Amino acid sequence: MEAINERIKQTLESSPVLLFMKGTPDFPQCGFSAQTVAALRACGADFASFNIFEDPEIREGLKAYSNWPTYPQLYVNGELIGGCDIVVEMYHSGELKKLLDESAAKA
Amino acid sequence: MTQDRVEKIRQRLETQLQPELLEIEDESRLHAGHAGARDGRGHFRVMIVSPAFQGLSRIARHRLVFDAMGELMETDIHALAVQAFSPDEL
Repeated sequence: MEAINERIKQTLESSPVLLFMKGTPDFPQCGFSAQTVAALRACGADFASFNIFEDPEIREGLKAYSNWPTYPQLYVNGELIGGCDIVVEMYHSGELKKLLDESAAKA
Repeated sequence: MTQDRVEKIRQRLETQLQPELLEIEDESRLHAGHAGARDGRGHFRVMIVSPAFQGLSRIARHRLVFDAMGELMETDIHALAVQAFSPDEL
């Protein structure tokens, strides 16, 4: 448990905008992951992605770590922003672009 | 089976969040055959209005809904789309 949480922390620190998803941005393997990628791209965001299908340990561990039972999960500066519904809502309200622009300005 | 699942979801949300408005849709058929549907669990969409959401962030609202689902997230639900409002937001 300790070891996996350490790996999760290191992964979260690896990029300011990080999407844990099913598949990859160019080949998403789930409609919700695809919608989330589309929202990030529409904001012109620079983001990293993590394919949870390639890492079962992170896939299970992150659910417990973040207390969030489903994927995708978007993190900005190590903080969980939400899954597909929240990201898409924030995209429509303009909050997502604002958050991502602020994060990019800090980098 | 899917009607049972919708009923299970309804019962938990009604007991734990006392919604003023609650709509649950089973969207599993839209996902039949895709990778996420293979384990037999379903895709659902919930629109819920409850005073419990007053003043809470989106994340906190979704967590309340996930918490109300409990082990259903492991046994019955593969994906749960959530729209959660407090009564004064309508």
